[in-house]
Amino acid sequence: MPHIPILNDGTPLSELINHDTREVAMRTLSDEQIYQVEMKKIFAKTWVFLGHETEIPNSGDFLVRDMGSDSVLVTRDKDGDIHVALNVCPHRGMKISTHDSGNTPIHTCIYHGWAFKPNGDFVGAPADKECMHGKMMTKQQLGLKKARVAEYGGLIFATWNIEGPSFEEFLGDAKWYFDTLWCRTIEGMEVLGPPQRFVIRANWKTACEQSASDGFHTMTLHRWLGEVGPYAKKPDEEGKGGDLSPEMYGSEVWTDHGHTMRCIDLDRKIRRITGKDPSALSAREKLELLPPPGITPEMVPQLLERFSDEQLELMSWRPPQVGNFFPNGLFEFIYLPQPDGTVVGAMALHAYIPKGPDKLEFVNWILAEKDTPPELKAKMLRQSVQLLGTSGMVEQDDSDTWPHQTIVAKGAMSADITLKYQACYETKPPSWPGPGHVGDGFTKDDTQWQWWQYWYELMTA
Amino acid sequence: MTHADDNATALAAAELKTLLEPTPLPMLDTSKRISAADPLHTELMEFLVDEAEMLDNLQFKAWGATLAEDLEYNAPLRRTRTTRQQDQTVVRTVQHLHEDFGSMQLRIMRVADTTSAWGEDPPSRTRRFISNIRAYRTEQANEYLVRSYELVTRSRFDFDDFDLIPCERYDILRRDGVSFKLARREILLDQVVVGTPNLGIFL
Repeated sequence: MPHIPILNDGTPLSELINHDTREVAMRTLSDEQIYQVEMKKIFAKTWVFLGHETEIPNSGDFLVRDMGSDSVLVTRDKDGDIHVALNVCPHRGMKISTHDSGNTPIHTCIYHGWAFKPNGDFVGAPADKECMHGKMMTKQQLGLKKARVAEYGGLIFATWNIEGPSFEEFLGDAKWYFDTLWCRTIEGMEVLGPPQRFVIRANWKTACEQSASDGFHTMTLHRWLGEVGPYAKKPDEEGKGGDLSPEMYGSEVWTDHGHTMRCIDLDRKIRRITGKDPSALSAREKLELLPPPGITPEMVPQLLERFSDEQLELMSWRPPQVGNFFPNGLFEFIYLPQPDGTVVGAMALHAYIPKGPDKLEFVNWILAEKDTPPELKAKMLRQSVQLLGTSGMVEQDDSDTWPHQTIVAKGAMSADITLKYQACYETKPPSWPGPGHVGDGFTKDDTQWQWWQYWYELMTA
Repeated sequence: MTHADDNATALAAAELKTLLEPTPLPMLDTSKRISAADPLHTELMEFLVDEAEMLDNLQFKAWGATLAEDLEYNAPLRRTRTTRQQDQTVVRTVQHLHEDFGSMQLRIMRVADTTSAWGEDPPSRTRRFISNIRAYRTEQANEYLVRSYELVTRSRFDFDDFDLIPCERYDILRRDGVSFKLARREILLDQVVVGTPNLGIFL
C-alpha cells in the first residue's frame, strides 16, 4: 500500500504530481517538509554514490562524504576492503573526523577519545580498565552505524537499507549501458585528483531532474557553445549560428529506477573527422577512428574482448554521453573537438549533495582510465576543468539557473506552477541493441519524467 | 607486488602528477624583496589595481591584452588537514581553474562576444580589493614575483547577500614596455567548498 505523506497544510503529496499530464508542482522544489521526507525515504533508502576507490588506495585511507544529510566515513581497512559508516560518535554525537580525507588506522573522536576501526568497530575508550562506556552496552553495540557497501567499476555506493534491493537490482536495465562506461578496461578507472566542491543555493532536485538527461536546455542555456570557440557552428554547416539542434538527435534511455542517459549519435562526428561513411564501417573500425573518451585506438581490443556485439554497436554508434544515477549522480563521457581537428574526451562525475531545501553542494570528480596514456590524461583534465565544474564554461550557466527555480518555488502563486514533462517520444529506434525504455529522434522529456516517477514511488513507499 | 613493481608504480604516479600539475611555482627569494618605498613596487601595485578596475568594469578584452602568451593561470583545490599536514592542503592535480593563454581567451570570448553566457549575463557586480602586496625580484631580470591578498565581493541579481571570495595570489609580472604582462597566476582560495555558484568571474 502506498503511504502518501500529508504536508502540514493538509495537502497530500499526491496532489503535487499529475501522472496523466506529466506535471510536478514547483512546491516540491523548496518545501522544508518534503525535504525531510526525501532525506528519510530517498537518501536513507536508496543506493547513494560516495566516491571512487582510487581516492583511498591504501590501508587506512579515508574520505568524509555525505549520504543525503548524513556525514559518513568511507574507509579502506588493512585487508583492502571498503567500509562506510556514520561519521558520528555513538557516545555523545561528536563528528568523528572533521577532515575531508586522510589516513589513519584508528579513528579517534577528539571529544572523549572513543576509538573506532576503519570498519566502524568500537575499539575502546581512554582508561580502558575504568570502562568509560559503562556496562549497559557491549563493545559490539557501540560501534559506528554501518552502511551496506557496493563497489561497481571502482565507484563506491552505499545504502542504509541493509535488507533492501541489491545494487544490481537498483541499477536494473541501466547496468547493461553503465558497464560500457565504467567497466571498459581490465585495469579500470582512476580519479585524476580529489573532487572540486562548491555550493549552489538551490534545491538538490533542480540539478538532479536536469541531470536525468534534459536535452532541451542545451539549445538555449548552453547556446554560447555554438557561437564561439572550437565548438562553434560554421556558417556553411547545418546548425549554423549557435543553433545546437543537430546535436539533439539520437536515442534516450530511461529505466525503472530513474537512471537515464542520452545516447547521442556519433555518425556526424565520424563523418566530419574521418570523411568516411559511418554506415560502411564496422563497430571496431568506428571505435578505432573515434574511440570513447579516455580510450585510445590501442585500447580498443580490450573493448572488443569485454563487450557483446550489441554493446559494441551502442558504443560505436550512440554511446551514452550524459546521464544520471538516481538520485543525485550525473556522468559525462563527452567527445570534444579540438582546434587541430582531433577529439579529446572528458569523463566527469557529479554528485549534487542536498544541504537543506535551498542549498546543494556540487561535487565534481574528473576521471580517466588507468590505461589512458598520461599525456592524454593531462589533456582530458584540462578540458574537463575548462568546461565542467566550478569554473566550467558550460556548467556555469546551470549553476546560475537552479537558484532562481528554488526562489520562485516559494511564491504563493508560483508554488502551484508546474514543471512540465509533456514532450513524449512517439518512436523507438528501428532496432536497438539494449534493454530499458528507449526513444528515438530529437530529445524529449521521458527520461526526466521517469526520474520524477521513481522519486514519487520512493516518497510514497 | 615486488619492490621493483612498487618502485615502478611510484615512479609512474610521480610522472603523472608532473603532467597533471602546472609547472612548479618559481621559488621566492626573500633576499630579493622589493621595498614598498621603491618606485618599482608602486608600478607593480598599479598593475594589480588597474587590472582590478578593468575586471570590475567588465573590460574583459582590455584585461585579456595584459595576459602573456605563455600564461599559466591556476586555482588549486584546498583540503582540510591537521596542523602537521599543512603541506597537503593545496591540490594542484584537479584544480578549479587550470588555464593557459588560449583557454583564457576562450573564456573572455564567451563573456565578451556571445549573447548567451548566462552564468555572467547579467554580469555580477564585483569589487576586487587588493592588499598586502609583497614583491620580489627573480632569476629573470624582467620578471617580478608579486604576492597579494584579494577579496572579491560578488553581487548577483537582486540578491541581498554577497558572495565573498577571499584568496591569496602568487603572480609573475613580466616587464612589457611601460607596463607589465601577467605571465603566471596562482589563486589560492581560502575555502575548501567554494561559496559562490561558479568561478565565471576572473580572479
